[in-house]
Amino acid sequence: MSATGTVVVGYDGSADAGSAVTWAARTALALGASLCIVHAVGLLEHGGVGGRGPVDGAAAVERACQAGLDESAVEWRVVDGDPCSALLRVTEGPEPVALLVVGSRGSGAHAGTLLGSTSLELAEHAPVPVTIVPSTFEA
Amino acid sequence: MTTLVVAGPVGISEHDGGRDHPERPDRLFAAMDGLRALDLEDQVVYPAVREASLEELSRVHTPAYLAELEAFCARGGGSVDPDTYARADSWTAARRAAGAGVVALEELGRLGEGIAFVPVRPPGHHATGDRAMGFCLVNNVAVAAAARAARGERVLVLDWDVHHGNGTQDIFWDDPDVLYVSTHQHPLYPGTGRPDEVGGPGAPGLVVNLPLPRGATGDVVRAAIDEFARDTIEAFRPDWVLVSCGFDAHRADPLGELALSSGDFAELACVVREFAPVPGRLALFLEGGYDLEALASSVEATLGALVGAGRRVSDPTEGGPGLEQLRAGRSARLAAIDRVHAEAAP
Repeated sequence: MSATGTVVVGYDGSADAGSAVTWAARTALALGASLCIVHAVGLLEHGGVGGRGPVDGAAAVERACQAGLDESAVEWRVVDGDPCSALLRVTEGPEPVALLVVGSRGSGAHAGTLLGSTSLELAEHAPVPVTIVPSTFEA
Repeated sequence: MTTLVVAGPVGISEHDGGRDHPERPDRLFAAMDGLRALDLEDQVVYPAVREASLEELSRVHTPAYLAELEAFCARGGGSVDPDTYARADSWTAARRAAGAGVVALEELGRLGEGIAFVPVRPPGHHATGDRAMGFCLVNNVAVAAAARAARGERVLVLDWDVHHGNGTQDIFWDDPDVLYVSTHQHPLYPGTGRPDEVGGPGAPGLVVNLPLPRGATGDVVRAAIDEFARDTIEAFRPDWVLVSCGFDAHRADPLGELALSSGDFAELACVVREFAPVPGRLALFLEGGYDLEALASSVEATLGALVGAGRRVSDPTEGGPGLEQLRAGRSARLAAIDRVHAEAAP
């Protein structure tokens, strides 16, 4: 465990989440921290219904490694729940978290409203610093 | 002859996310098919359903959340999270769904006998005080429970949906007038529902979580309630028994991996009925259940058992795993209750 704690990034398979992983990996590298990529499995994905298939964790880990992190410093973690609650649980868990990173939109977001915006909800409720990577960020 | 109060259906032509979404209006057609198969005729009462008032909703949801949800729908709605959607008409549907539960209990109170069934959607038990999730916008059973608690009555909410009712647990976490008991598959969405989640300092022990492994059968669910929750329920002495009545613990359901049959729900209903202090104090609120055939047969079996019109739809199941997990959970629960008491002590 790094002295600065882990950088946690939410990942739902969207392009914005991919950019967030790249930004989070670069940040973890600069801090000498490890990276935990968290994917929340919802009702539809669990059941494989409603057009929701499993999210490719290997692609997210590869992206973090391409940003310069060693694979041993990258953890892929799958948790049950909605994205907001699941990420909050990780940040409130026993392992120290230095920073929480999310993309600005994700797969179910509506800019400018609290309802449907994981990033805004996390910014309001998370007990650790939150970075919202804008959709204009080019990884 | 037991009267069956049916407050609904609500959501049969509203809040439609399309045929690809499992939480869709067809669920209500299936539930009502199950009811019609009982051929109860004059035994059924259909009270007029109304929208829940803002005062009723505000007992369990924050005004800011309600305003945001109303405005979100007024703008046409959209995706709330990867699972959950709202449409332009969802605000009205959610208010009617919540109001149906309140009306059902009022009707039971007026009759002084019978049981109530509240076939509504969107479902409710994942909705917290300030967040929509898990297909749920407004917590229907919580609105009804809070309405009775506001009258000084004590309410048991028993949740046998395959998913833990995190929203109901959150809302009543510190409320000494509401006991929340849940059987659910764990681990599974929404990730909550561990046995050491027992309630806050104002209500230590009034959350009872009975997590079950995949493959658990009906006998294990009944044992969970009978052996691991009955003492708490009887000590609580509820005035009302409200069931968060999801049928997605059925073995055919696509969103869970418990192994119940429709006959198991009939058996469970008979166990739960014993907790009602007098006739006319038991109501069942539809939550999940996404295999339409299983939903119809489970509604038929459950209501049939309660009103004495049951035909054996399928045999109860037995022999699945879970008892060891329940025993281990009891120790964790007792330790957690001690911690809450210690933290609350001056």
